[in-house]
Amino acid sequence: MAQAPEEKPEKNSRGTIEWFAENGIFVFTAVLILAAAIFVNGFASLQNITDVFHRAAPIGIVAVGMTFVVISGNYLDLSVVAQVATAAVIMIAVSNEYGYFAAVLAAMLAAIIYAVVNGVAVGYFKANAVIVTLSTTYIGLGLLRLLSGGSIFFGPPDGALAQFGAGKLGPIPYSALVLVLMTVILAFVLNRTNFGFTVRSFGVNERATRLGGTNTGLVIIGAFLVTSLSAMIAGFVLAAFSNTAVSAMSTGYDFQALAAIIVGGTSVFGGKGSVLRTLLGVIFVSVLSNVLVLLNIGFGYQQMALGALIALAVAVDALARRAGKK
Amino acid sequence: MATNKQKKEAKMRKSRLVLAPAAMLAASALVLSGCAAEEEAATDASTDSSSDSDSSADAGDDTLEVYALLPQGNDQPYGTTYLPPMQAKADELGINLTITNSEYDGDKQASECEVAVAAQPDGIILWPALADTIRPCLEAANAADIPVWITNADVNPEDTELTYGYSGTDSYGQGAASAEMMCELADGAEIGVIQINGLSGNSVATLRGNGFAETIAAECPNVSILAEQPGDWNKDDSQIAASEMLTAVGIENVQGLYAADDTMVAGGIAALEARGENVEDYFITSIGNTFLGNPLVKEGKLDGTVFQSSSWDGENAVTGIYRAITGETNLGRDDDASVLYMPNPKVTIDNADDPEVAPEW
Amino acid sequence: MSQQESIQLGGSDKSLWGQIKLTIARRTEGRGIALLAIILAIAAFTEPLVFTAYQITLGRIALIGLVALGLTAVILMGQLDLSVASTLAASGVVLASIPDLTLGIIAALATGLLVGAINAFGVAIIGINSFIWTLGMLFFLRGVALVLSDETPVKLTNADAGIAFGQPLIGPLTPRILIFVLVFILIQMFVSRVKMGREFYAVGGNPQAAKDAGIPVKRRIFTGFMISGFVSALAGVINTLERTAADPIAGSTVLLASFAAAIIGGNYLKGGRGSIVGTLIGAAALGVLQVTLTISGVQVPVQQIFIGLVLLIAVTTDPNNLRAVLSSIRSARSSRVKVQEPASEPNKSTAS
Repeated sequence: MAQAPEEKPEKNSRGTIEWFAENGIFVFTAVLILAAAIFVNGFASLQNITDVFHRAAPIGIVAVGMTFVVISGNYLDLSVVAQVATAAVIMIAVSNEYGYFAAVLAAMLAAIIYAVVNGVAVGYFKANAVIVTLSTTYIGLGLLRLLSGGSIFFGPPDGALAQFGAGKLGPIPYSALVLVLMTVILAFVLNRTNFGFTVRSFGVNERATRLGGTNTGLVIIGAFLVTSLSAMIAGFVLAAFSNTAVSAMSTGYDFQALAAIIVGGTSVFGGKGSVLRTLLGVIFVSVLSNVLVLLNIGFGYQQMALGALIALAVAVDALARRAGKK
Repeated sequence: MATNKQKKEAKMRKSRLVLAPAAMLAASALVLSGCAAEEEAATDASTDSSSDSDSSADAGDDTLEVYALLPQGNDQPYGTTYLPPMQAKADELGINLTITNSEYDGDKQASECEVAVAAQPDGIILWPALADTIRPCLEAANAADIPVWITNADVNPEDTELTYGYSGTDSYGQGAASAEMMCELADGAEIGVIQINGLSGNSVATLRGNGFAETIAAECPNVSILAEQPGDWNKDDSQIAASEMLTAVGIENVQGLYAADDTMVAGGIAALEARGENVEDYFITSIGNTFLGNPLVKEGKLDGTVFQSSSWDGENAVTGIYRAITGETNLGRDDDASVLYMPNPKVTIDNADDPEVAPEW
Repeated sequence: MSQQESIQLGGSDKSLWGQIKLTIARRTEGRGIALLAIILAIAAFTEPLVFTAYQITLGRIALIGLVALGLTAVILMGQLDLSVASTLAASGVVLASIPDLTLGIIAALATGLLVGAINAFGVAIIGINSFIWTLGMLFFLRGVALVLSDETPVKLTNADAGIAFGQPLIGPLTPRILIFVLVFILIQMFVSRVKMGREFYAVGGNPQAAKDAGIPVKRRIFTGFMISGFVSALAGVINTLERTAADPIAGSTVLLASFAAAIIGGNYLKGGRGSIVGTLIGAAALGVLQVTLTISGVQVPVQQIFIGLVLLIAVTTDPNNLRAVLSSIRSARSSRVKVQEPASEPNKSTAS
């Protein structure tokens, strides 16, 4: 039988080491934020908090959705790159002609198509998710460029979309509120619904889950659908923030989202992890990128620092986990 | 049990039997429909479709075969508006274009160049992804007696002898022109500016960035570049990068903003507006005079930009290779018509409405 | 996972075609071979230039395939190496930055070995998941390449040597192609004949059992990653020589293309199954497809769609996949039947 993945450490804990092993990344992020607030000039200002949220929101929305695919043991969904750009272009191009409602409908249709193609190939045909989503990325970007002609689309300067993109609640942009809301909803779905349970158990023990008789193909489609809808919303948010849309605007979203998911502690082989952890990973990576720019560090050194700190974070996590096991 | 295994093997064989011809049919149908789609596509009306493999080797044809090795196309706004005028000119002159897109990957373009040379076209239009790595391609084309016309981004001076000509802009010069405008705006005052560059490692980004920074240092050292970050040609990334740079160096120290293209400068302007700043108080320059940038110039927010015409670029690439093929221009660029610089007109609020600099991309 | 059926029970088709079909269906490379055959057929019909100018096609296959070969060594052990793209770029920059050519090549290859060792350290010693560790290295090395090169291409001091390297050496075959063939032979022999190499399969299939059987798993992981790092560095050296300059952002298209080649060739990302030959076939299929599409002159976005479709079809039409689909359809149907009346047949579907 599939075993329920452990989310919280046992209550008869072996003390702080065990706790640290499970929650190392929380500590690391808190330390990072604290150190930045103290040592980095301007980090703790309201304006900068807004900037960090602006960084976090689109990637974060993709990441919390993609967590479903990763937890199910299917590595990642590379097609989010194509999906975010598609949603952004549809949102602006369609809403300019036919209004927002039509745009949302069209984008949802695209998201569903992606989810079904990815989900059927991975869930029913049991094909490798990396290659499947790579192929849908090629197809999707090719179609997008063919149909949109590769042009850049603009929204009206004071349209509702632009206002949403610029709107804030205090220092928190609306897009970040969307991120938080989605995290809460998706955490609920992943932890408290049958669907979420099956997704998680898929990652723990795929064979047992399939034998368990649930219609597992549909569950995989569901996981990809969550990712697709999240990518769609991320595309909307991105389009709102920039009030423009072009097919190249979402480059790098696949690996950045994956980095955030895994830094948060979700295992790439599935089974372990949570949406809340992903949110944490997103915050960690966003704060880190923000701090590096504030320190006026050149792009090359930024990439080095990013890679080194990602490696360091997971190394500390892994070592602490090992120490906790002894 | 044995029966089950046999049944499975039989099923596998059957599925293979069905699969192979079915896949072959499907794949062939896709290829043909792909070629058909190309024919029906709005831009291409040429009757000599390249779905016939022997057309490229036909000597008796009137159509000229030309390979266009480009590093961008429908994946970027400039490339998108470069292609249709290019195709139109090609149709007019009776040229059949085979277009590639290496997405600024030097190795991919080198491989495409090898394919192009092997196909023995009448001519090659080359837009180098990386000028430093393009010489082997030029030598191979020369060895095969295929004329090469360079478009948009020129090769290095020592390699020009291997080409028949060049038409295009000058990325370094564009950065310099934008810097000159910034110098004029600064008018001798000691000011600080922040710089937003294109994608790191991209040749256009590097040239424009160097053009701007070096011209500033040479002509108006009173202007200090306080910070520079890549905006990746995106408006959203540029907005965040600009805002963070403003925090890093202190917004009170910043009086000017430069970005390598209008899309990114729009992001920088949005960053200033989001902080409640009065954008007109800042000196802001960029490059492109695009659909995004031109309105900003007219509104007074963008103080100066440099016009770049994708249609001029696309057309002259074809005109150039035609001249090379028909022998009007020779190897080594020895005549006046073999180097055509797209002018870098500066666009400010005074001439923003001129039809000559009407935005194209 | 289904086991390869090594016992052939009576009644199978003894004809040559039947034997071929059986071999294709049985071996992991089967799908790759079928795909390659189809692509070759299409190329022969539509763009024979692919064959008449075969050295170009081979060159493209070598471009995609070299990195994929090294990557396969890691994949067989159930690990992943995402850092190959940046290793390629960084080694190229190292080579170009050193005026002396021989010293530069040695330094570049040493860089690859070092990267491999660091990767193995993170995975085997610290115990971090290889996907995230090598992802971190991907970012890190990209930064290293940009910093070392100052974000601009670095030219080779000895450009003539570079151009000479790009010239055909034996017949129309360039050194790139020859090195590719050599690396293929070496790695293939290593993985199939040398005991150390064969143990890669065991490590990938069941690391715990491998350890219990006395295989030094950690050392094998080091070997595997160092092979991958070395081969990526070699690819970077070859590219830099042929281009006469090092591009710090090289390798962006190679990363996913290498994975695609390995997986099309039948390698399982979870390890333990697959082959180097399979990767070669996968790279060949992709390379021929790409060259065919380039020559065909079809619009670039359409080319992209086409490659995506071919990949999608290729990866979903393995006998395993079709069996999976058939069994889930069967189980859906029979479970529906069960609701209406008690079924006389037990559910025959097997999980793969």
